[in-house]
Amino acid sequence: MIFWEIAKRNVRIHLLRSFLAMLGIVIGVVAISTMGILGNSMVLSVSDSLRTVGDSVIVTPHAGGGGMGFGSGTTSFTISEQEFQQIKRVSAPNVAIPVLRTSERMKLGVGSEEIVALVYGLDPDDVPLMLNLVEGDYSRGNSGCLVGATFAKDNNVRVGSRISLGKDGEKGTLRVTGIIEERGMAFDVSTDSAVVATRDWFDGTYNRDDYDQVVVKVKNLDEIADVKTAIEKQLNRRETIVDVMDTRKTMETIFEAFGQITTFVSAIGGISMIVAGVSILNIMMMSVTERIKEIGIMRSIGAQRREVMSMFLYEAAILGILGAIIGGVMSFVGGYAISSLMLQTTKYFFVPSSLIQIVYGMAFGIVVCLICGIYPAWRAANLNPIDALRHE
Amino acid sequence: MENPPVMLFRDVVKVYPLPAGDVIALDGVSFQVDRGEFISVMGPSGSGKSTLLNLMGCLDTPTTGDIFISGTRIGDMSDTELTSLRRDRIGFIFQYFNLFPLLNIIENVTFPMMLKTGRGVDPERGKEVLRAVQLDDKLFTHTPTELSGGQQQRVAVARALINNPDILLCDEPTGNLDSKTGDGIMDLMSELNRKGTTIIMVTHDAHIAEYSRRTIRIADGRIVS
Repeated sequence: MIFWEIAKRNVRIHLLRSFLAMLGIVIGVVAISTMGILGNSMVLSVSDSLRTVGDSVIVTPHAGGGGMGFGSGTTSFTISEQEFQQIKRVSAPNVAIPVLRTSERMKLGVGSEEIVALVYGLDPDDVPLMLNLVEGDYSRGNSGCLVGATFAKDNNVRVGSRISLGKDGEKGTLRVTGIIEERGMAFDVSTDSAVVATRDWFDGTYNRDDYDQVVVKVKNLDEIADVKTAIEKQLNRRETIVDVMDTRKTMETIFEAFGQITTFVSAIGGISMIVAGVSILNIMMMSVTERIKEIGIMRSIGAQRREVMSMFLYEAAILGILGAIIGGVMSFVGGYAISSLMLQTTKYFFVPSSLIQIVYGMAFGIVVCLICGIYPAWRAANLNPIDALRHE
Repeated sequence: MENPPVMLFRDVVKVYPLPAGDVIALDGVSFQVDRGEFISVMGPSGSGKSTLLNLMGCLDTPTTGDIFISGTRIGDMSDTELTSLRRDRIGFIFQYFNLFPLLNIIENVTFPMMLKTGRGVDPERGKEVLRAVQLDDKLFTHTPTELSGGQQQRVAVARALINNPDILLCDEPTGNLDSKTGDGIMDLMSELNRKGTTIIMVTHDAHIAEYSRRTIRIADGRIVS
């Protein structure tokens, strides 16, 4: 088709101008695609580390002062045995697990540096419900403990190692019986860098008869919100004494937030695309203006309006498609680079939901180019042939 | 009408409405052009010559009166219909050649044909008309700027002839050429006319008008002789 040929040649003879307009599209495509890839990779990587399935309701003492903090004399920052029994009753038949927690200094072997780590106290019966081991066995006795995978790796701890707790070992010594599988960020207990002892040992050592947290494992996920509501109703009837968190809901909220962040950064990329569109509009207007006479000749010797229009739309399409292709290639390279530099892995890059972002970016670039080409092309097509012919 | 005139003007009036008052560019013009004629239209500037040219070229429609091109009334045609009519029935030749700088000679010549057929260059037909305007084969793949003025005007004539139009409409065809080259173009016109092409030529050059066989003189929007 001759109009396609003319459009092509016109882009070629104004190479620098075409290239600069195209550059805007390239930048726009790269901005949108890489932002999309980055956002998507972040969501994927977070959902990988939030390994915990959303199957728990976490009850913690209400810590918020609530603005008018006076008079809330009953506020203790623990959950009492009585409160625990209430939780247990309303969440039945789901299992309620009381959790004790403190941070403690400890030494691993004679002459080693003293470190500080979290120590959990859990009922040996409850431990298998929450924690999986990679090595060793669950400890039944009060002198045994489990350690997290990161803790074990960092401190060179193995099954059989001994940990002496407290200043100069005043809290006694525990023998490591098992190493807990890596759990990542978790809402219930974060054991990766912690020591898990038995509840009896914890009660005896720290003289405790209350709890820091209660985790309710919900078997039927559809009931999770009901369990949460039941606990809140029971305990917070008069005043708020516990905070209840539904892990499924919380995860949903987190993903929602990530989705919004991704949308937001992509929108910033979109702004650069709009700027690119304006520059396309600009050079297309220039292209029309400097060819008014030529348009007049074409029209007078028999070119239809739509043919003149198509010639300019082809020109915009060439800029858009070339810009999108270059931008697409650069986004691929850039996305790969960002993934490997910022996320240290490309496993979230070579997935359809990341790569599709490049397609979105390219499609958006082409669409923007065509939209910005419509008005100049329409102007050209609707010039009066007599006036256009007389134009110098 | 069995064999209609290629062009018929009947009481054509063209008024340009302007804020300062209407301007009557043509005031009741009637004439007829038969097949095979070679007519020149003469008149001083401001006489309505350009308006007449635009109407003859179907670039514009009259305010009142009728214009027929080979029996077809153009008065209430849409833009698309008028454009098709220009493409198929009228060959335009301009003072400034008006070739497309981005296209080579053969593409320029076959441009109206490509508009008509929607297909690509037909080199055979292109070469045929280029030979009819006595242009050297070697120039066919050059761009217009590499040609002399006379050569460019020959290409323009070839382009005007490509769709076998009813009328060749020329606007000062030699106005941008020296007299010797201009005479060459006029000889070509005469030759084409002898072979049957109907030619209407707008000019103010009396010497050039001598090549035609009939002259329409126009002044103040009316035909005076």
